[in-house]
Amino acid sequence: MKRKLNWIGAILAMMLLLAACSSNNGTNEAASPAGNGSNDSGEAEAPYELTVAYFTFGSVPQDQKLIEEELSKITKEKINATVKLLPISLSAWQNQVNLMLTSNEKLDLMVLMGSTYANQVAKGQLIALDELLAQSGTGILAALGPDYANATKINGQAYGVPTIRDLATSYGYLIRQDLVDKHALDLSQVKTLNDLEPILQTIKDNEPNMIPFVNGTGASPLTYYSTRDSLGDDMGVLLDNGQDLKVVNWFETEEYAAQLKQMRKWYQAGYISKDAVTVKESTSDILKGGKGAGNLATLKPGFDTQETRLTGKAITSVELLPSVAKTSTVTNIMWGIAKNSKNPEKAMQFLNLMYTDKDVVNLFDWGIEGKHYVKVSENIIDYPQGVDAASVGYSGMGWLFGNQFLSYIFKGDDENLWEKMKEFNNSAIKSKALGFTFDSTPVKTEFAAVSNVLTQYRIALECGALDPDKMLPEFIAKLKDAGIDKIIAEKQKQLDAWAAANGQ
Amino acid sequence: MGSTAKRWKRFAPLFLLMLPGLVYLIINNYLPMFGMIIAFKDINYTSGILGSDWIGFKNFEYLFKTSDAYIITRNTLLYNGLFIFINTIGAIGLAVLLNEIRKKFFQRFYQSIIVLPHLISMVIVSYLVFAILGSDTGLINKSILPLFGLDEVAWYSSKQYWPYILTIVNIWKGIGFLSVVYLASIISIDTEYYEAATLDGATRWQQIRTITIPIIMPVITMMTLLAIGRIFYSDFGLFYQVPMDSGVLSETTNVIDTYVYRALMNLGDIGMSSAAGVYQSIVGFVLVILSNYAVRKFSKENALF
Repeated sequence: MKRKLNWIGAILAMMLLLAACSSNNGTNEAASPAGNGSNDSGEAEAPYELTVAYFTFGSVPQDQKLIEEELSKITKEKINATVKLLPISLSAWQNQVNLMLTSNEKLDLMVLMGSTYANQVAKGQLIALDELLAQSGTGILAALGPDYANATKINGQAYGVPTIRDLATSYGYLIRQDLVDKHALDLSQVKTLNDLEPILQTIKDNEPNMIPFVNGTGASPLTYYSTRDSLGDDMGVLLDNGQDLKVVNWFETEEYAAQLKQMRKWYQAGYISKDAVTVKESTSDILKGGKGAGNLATLKPGFDTQETRLTGKAITSVELLPSVAKTSTVTNIMWGIAKNSKNPEKAMQFLNLMYTDKDVVNLFDWGIEGKHYVKVSENIIDYPQGVDAASVGYSGMGWLFGNQFLSYIFKGDDENLWEKMKEFNNSAIKSKALGFTFDSTPVKTEFAAVSNVLTQYRIALECGALDPDKMLPEFIAKLKDAGIDKIIAEKQKQLDAWAAANGQ
Repeated sequence: MGSTAKRWKRFAPLFLLMLPGLVYLIINNYLPMFGMIIAFKDINYTSGILGSDWIGFKNFEYLFKTSDAYIITRNTLLYNGLFIFINTIGAIGLAVLLNEIRKKFFQRFYQSIIVLPHLISMVIVSYLVFAILGSDTGLINKSILPLFGLDEVAWYSSKQYWPYILTIVNIWKGIGFLSVVYLASIISIDTEYYEAATLDGATRWQQIRTITIPIIMPVITMMTLLAIGRIFYSDFGLFYQVPMDSGVLSETTNVIDTYVYRALMNLGDIGMSSAAGVYQSIVGFVLVILSNYAVRKFSKENALF
């Protein structure tokens, strides 16, 4: 009897193990028949299933499946394809996407981020888009306009399409409206970073439990304040928003040293949190929790209402630097077609819908009409009765899904938001290097070493936690040691070649 | 012939039980060794692993590009060496003390209390440490230092304190589990030895020195050897979470694992991560062989192989 039990136990254990292993195979098999679709056309062709990966903040909305079904209805009719959405949390995004690309999992469309774009192209993970765009992506090109469409080109080929949103950015200080009223702060006098000082002092004096100058996790207060074109990574930048094509070491400039001195002063004065170096929350969470008064941020039209919705506190902001367009502000969010795609043609057709089809865009951005929103007028929407921001079953990020200008405007937002956004994009100072993307592969050893030095010193210096008089020279020496000069030389070389090719 | 079949039949369930473990070991530990070639290649996803170009030791260069390679290797070895030393001595001491407690209830009670930290996730530990060391609300800065009229210390940007902090946290967290392992082997020692020793008039201390320690020596050697084999693999949570990923502290908190993690979070280059992995494995392998060789020299039966 006992022997028999042993056997049964062993077999059960094996079965469990096998079951766990085989669940993977199931999905692979299910996916493969759809892949044959591209060979022949005609009525009988089975709809191709497009896998669309993008990142999300926080959890997946509960009505995600419904959105997928509705989308598939539209796409089945228009391009004979169905859509499978694959939201991945931002913290796992890089790893998971890398894994999917490496293991050749089924993946058609994916969001690209500016910081890894050049690398992904160099590693051959993306399909070149020019031909596909000319064939079935004309709507995208028309919506983007040539300046912004060309900003993603690497060696003359586009591998990604930027989403249409705020393609430029301005920098400023945002602060809780109630504090402005309570302490009668005069924001109209604030024109430069220096002018913030009396405001921060007032808050420091009157709100002992609040940080006047907040920074979020993985960033310093200065992260969202820039007068330079970082050329993607800050290892060799163009000063004055890229009005001059000379690559310099930002960390050696007097401007940077002056900024650090100021941050050190503010840190010692208590404007910046003493725990700034180790902070583990986002700025909006800190404001939401009533622990902070305000922070530097990248602004755009409609920013105040967006932040108000995010923090649950009325927010106002003051612009410190005018709007600029650089490659990084355009390419930070793009869509591309993975080399895994079995049917790039269909993927491009769907992408085209995301830039031209109002129904598709609004499904992505707001969900299903009547269920997740109701129309107040032609272009304005609101939550249905009995539903609010907390209980709505779906909400998407408008700046992520294709052409945001086709999106409805939420009640409370400026009715002319998209006109203002277009104006904002068009009037922005354009960096002369707009469209240049640095390929770091020739210097990847140095790039890795310099990245390490940056993570060691940068945030602590920019929070004011370290004395710049002592530590800045050490920081610069370490950067040189790691080979930043070689990166700068390589960057200058690539930039000159790019400029010559583009007639700058 | 018949007996072989019989033997097979008798041991078949055991082999069957071994199978999942073996499969796991092969899939998880042996197959990935193939991936070592990635460290020597310039990976291009379109051409695949085998189709990518060989680039020799280029992927290893970034490790040795700056003084970082020296710092992280030094940190890794010194920290882990220190941990092995302190934890072993401490754990044996604790185990002996626990064994001396006669009341069953108290023995169990202390044992559980000591093991408890082992079960706490490093992320939570990091916040416990933060509650003590933080600047705005921390226990030391807000309550203890003012008592003595001392100035606040910015712990998370002063690297000189971290060797002590990390060692204390490591002992607090790791010692309980290790002491239970030793306690288990101490308990299994035949009580007759002690009775005989008591009759001969041996003191407690003499008993511990001449009976307990020599008998559990093989366990000590084995645990230490295993620990030395992993001396190049640091407790990632301890070195990454507890200092709150504060870059300024890296000179005293950066170890190979955290270095590689940080570099690759920025770059996402699997060639370079494999290179670091290979470096780590090879040095770890050499260390196991060397320490095992050393043990063989002293006492052959205590060596692992």
